[in-house]
Amino acid sequence: MCRIRCFEERVAQLKRSLQVHGLIHLSIGGEGVAAGVCSQLRDDDAVYSGHRAHGHAIAKGAPLGPLMAELMGRADGLCRGLGGSMHIVDAAHGFLGATGVVGGNIPLALGNAVAARLRGTDQITVVFFGDGAVQAGHFHESVNLAALWELPVILVCENNGFAEFTPRSAHTPIERVSDAVAPYGFERATVDGGDAAAVWAAFGEFLAIAREGRGPMLLECLTHRRRGHYEGDAEQYRDPLADEEWTRSDPVARLRERMLAEGWIEAAGIAAVQAAASADVDESVEFARASPFPEPELTAELVYAG
Amino acid sequence: MVQLDDDRLIWIYTQMLRIREFEERVKRTFEEHPGVIRGHTHLADGAEASIVGSLATLQSEDQLLTTYRCHGYPIVLGTDTKAMMAEIYGRKDGLCGGYGGSMHLADPGRGFLGTSGIVGQGIPQATGAALAAQIRKQGQIVLCFFGDGASKQGAFHESLNLASLWKLPVVYVMENNNYNVATRSEQEDANAANGEPLSVKAKAYSMPGFTVDGGDPLAVYEIVSTAADRARAGDGPTLIESKVYRLSAHGNLIAPPGVPLHYPEHEAITVFGNREEYEAALRGDPVPRFRARLVEQGTLDPGRADEIAERVREEMDAAVQFALDSPYPEPEAALDHVYA
Amino acid sequence: MAREIPYIAAVQEALQLEMERDETVLFYGQDVAPSDEDPLVKAFGRDRVRVSPISETAEIGIAIGAALAGYRPVVELLMAEFMLVAMNQVVNEAPRLRYMSGGQVKVPVVFKAGYGFTAGWAGQHTGSIYNMFCGIPGLKVALPSTPADAKGLFATAIRDDNPVCYFIHYLMVLEHGDVPEGEYLVPFGEAAVRRTGGDVTIVATGWTVGRALEAAETLAAEGIEAEVIDPRTIQPLDAETILSSVEKTGHLVLADQATRHASAASFIAAEVAEHGFSSLKAPIKLVTALDATIPYSQPMEAYVLPDEVKIASAVRQVLGTAAVTV
Repeated sequence: MCRIRCFEERVAQLKRSLQVHGLIHLSIGGEGVAAGVCSQLRDDDAVYSGHRAHGHAIAKGAPLGPLMAELMGRADGLCRGLGGSMHIVDAAHGFLGATGVVGGNIPLALGNAVAARLRGTDQITVVFFGDGAVQAGHFHESVNLAALWELPVILVCENNGFAEFTPRSAHTPIERVSDAVAPYGFERATVDGGDAAAVWAAFGEFLAIAREGRGPMLLECLTHRRRGHYEGDAEQYRDPLADEEWTRSDPVARLRERMLAEGWIEAAGIAAVQAAASADVDESVEFARASPFPEPELTAELVYAG
Repeated sequence: MVQLDDDRLIWIYTQMLRIREFEERVKRTFEEHPGVIRGHTHLADGAEASIVGSLATLQSEDQLLTTYRCHGYPIVLGTDTKAMMAEIYGRKDGLCGGYGGSMHLADPGRGFLGTSGIVGQGIPQATGAALAAQIRKQGQIVLCFFGDGASKQGAFHESLNLASLWKLPVVYVMENNNYNVATRSEQEDANAANGEPLSVKAKAYSMPGFTVDGGDPLAVYEIVSTAADRARAGDGPTLIESKVYRLSAHGNLIAPPGVPLHYPEHEAITVFGNREEYEAALRGDPVPRFRARLVEQGTLDPGRADEIAERVREEMDAAVQFALDSPYPEPEAALDHVYA
Repeated sequence: MAREIPYIAAVQEALQLEMERDETVLFYGQDVAPSDEDPLVKAFGRDRVRVSPISETAEIGIAIGAALAGYRPVVELLMAEFMLVAMNQVVNEAPRLRYMSGGQVKVPVVFKAGYGFTAGWAGQHTGSIYNMFCGIPGLKVALPSTPADAKGLFATAIRDDNPVCYFIHYLMVLEHGDVPEGEYLVPFGEAAVRRTGGDVTIVATGWTVGRALEAAETLAAEGIEAEVIDPRTIQPLDAETILSSVEKTGHLVLADQATRHASAASFIAAEVAEHGFSSLKAPIKLVTALDATIPYSQPMEAYVLPDEVKIASAVRQVLGTAAVTV
């Protein structure tokens, strides 16, 4: 979680200084969900995500250097500079992809689950999406099929109450995403996405079910999107969370406080974790800066396979 | 329970019979006048009670959109059956000038805004007509007809969510005939697979959902009226699952030009070998069933029923003849109506 | 009376004026005026101005239905690529319903979207896919490249009784230009000659018009006078203006931000090859995006796109003043 937080804060700075360009959506506020879910997965479990994917990729094991290099459009980026922030793929760690089309890869996640079943393995598939995706037609089509075929897929919805620049109430009369799948017999739960331990526990239960090849499941995580929809969003459409309120909902701060309170770690331990995260991020920026821009001819090479 | 007077009940029966006879004549055209109907037709036989029961609730400015299985609705609205048959025969005097054919009838003057040949894709359009009705504030509502197959389409989900959010004056009528062409709904629908009625889908849209016996026109009339009243009052949409059984195959045979077309047997038999299911449906045929009910309760005299049947037969004979006699459009007419 | 305003303001102005003029004009889409304090909402009310969820099929289908029922919806789709989610409604429904009904109904809708935002928005947000909507009878496609045209074409689109894809270019939203005040209409099917010249005709759309004009400046210093033509609408296409120009210049280069076989340039070239063959003194040359998904990294993104250097080079080739490159 610290690594994600540190990475994203650095990306925000780099974006402002134009070293990272394009359309960037940060995961600040989503660390609890990313870590609570992905840290329980294996490399051969598949994760799909939406446009706000850095945190999920990092939690799934994406190396920070190549990730930062991708955001800087360098040849050593995870996608060799071709994809950028919204199209991160780290196949080696099972992060099969981010997408810029809201909910667009939910059907793909189902396909992965079908494949796992055909292969007879206990690999599971997770797909992250926001509350905005729930009103899209492809969500509905996927829900019916996942339920009909009882696929071992876990839909994780980060409900931050906003889809781009409008609140959920402008999109649907259904407040809770878990209610949107009510007619379809999903195992479902809603948790406080800012409580990493709660996310861990809830997801862990679903994971056990999925490992038995059963499903589908939907985990709704109520989160707070700390920054705008994208970097550069003036956010005139909502009241900013006051700083103390943010501290109360900040998943990183909350877990830290709890760990200290429960005696799971000492202050020195916290500092060490933070220092390591910071060092890793520094290193990733160095790695990225040192990486050259790709040769333009690369654009022709990867259009088709074979 | 709804109270309709005898005239209205007889009118309902008459419309059901008109639909049945029209569809029979379409089907017989393949045998009696081969080559006259090209392409794909889809018949409403078996769904008459649901169609008439639904449309009996309409007021004069209300509107509807349907699927490609569209013949039944304009018949009830009063569209000229001669023009309808001529359209199906591709003639110049057809309802749409021969431009659309069986799947694309339209009579906007009577509120029938049109159809879509693509499953589920008329649902958002009906929702849009309801948006227009809401803005106009003249108490209009829109009936949106589609089949059970359409309820798996993203368009269904998106439209029902929006209609509920904006409280649009629309009534969604899902005619569930248990088949999507040759696939049974349990094979493709999670709710059907669980033995649940499809109306449970309404829960995901915060709207009321009901299941009704689509073979009983009065039951359909009652539930659709309730939904129509709700819509007119500005309280939003309703999802109604009307259970029907289609008495013909999904459509006529699909074959390249040169191969004679006809109606094969119902998929229950040809694909699933379940003749008993089909025969049971025949025994429960809603048209003779309603006739028997009205005769039994004294509303309809058997003699009068026969007269009605005779008049209906004459009407559809005339429709067929008119269509056969109608000329084909001028070929150059193909370039008209591309743009408004 | 004209004054200088940015492209995006010209777009807004057209919408405002048309909504004032005709109460059947509706405007909705994702993130459209979510706040009740929004000026459009205050002016026209929540019946006519709404925000919708991420539901393109429903948004576009609803527009069609409301149009069938007598309204004139403008749907904000944000990016042309989002229309792909609802291609059936755009291509198979909206433009075909009138025809199939034998002319009984009409579908006066405007699909408003931006395109071409090659500013690091990567593979799924940066395409120039307008060609997908061409050649569909019943559908029209407008590509304004100046603020004045953004206003005039939008107004015409709204008044047109047919479905229109009105595509604004996202790289141009802040470009300033003279825009007439008040009611201002630019007709469909009338190309604009942006620069006159006698040596070569350059046909360009959207953002590439600016690139063509820059190339023309470079070429003028070499004694080559280019005529730059902007079709403004690619469906309907004003082939006549282009053919007259080619008759004068004898040489044709087409610039397009789309990839070659998905470009407007390709079908415009075919028109000239067929109807203007005798005017041509050299083969036609297309300068389009290279055949790749738009890459994220800036040097690669720039590499695949057409630019003034490539356009000028193509002109020199057709004029025979440069070696032909493959």
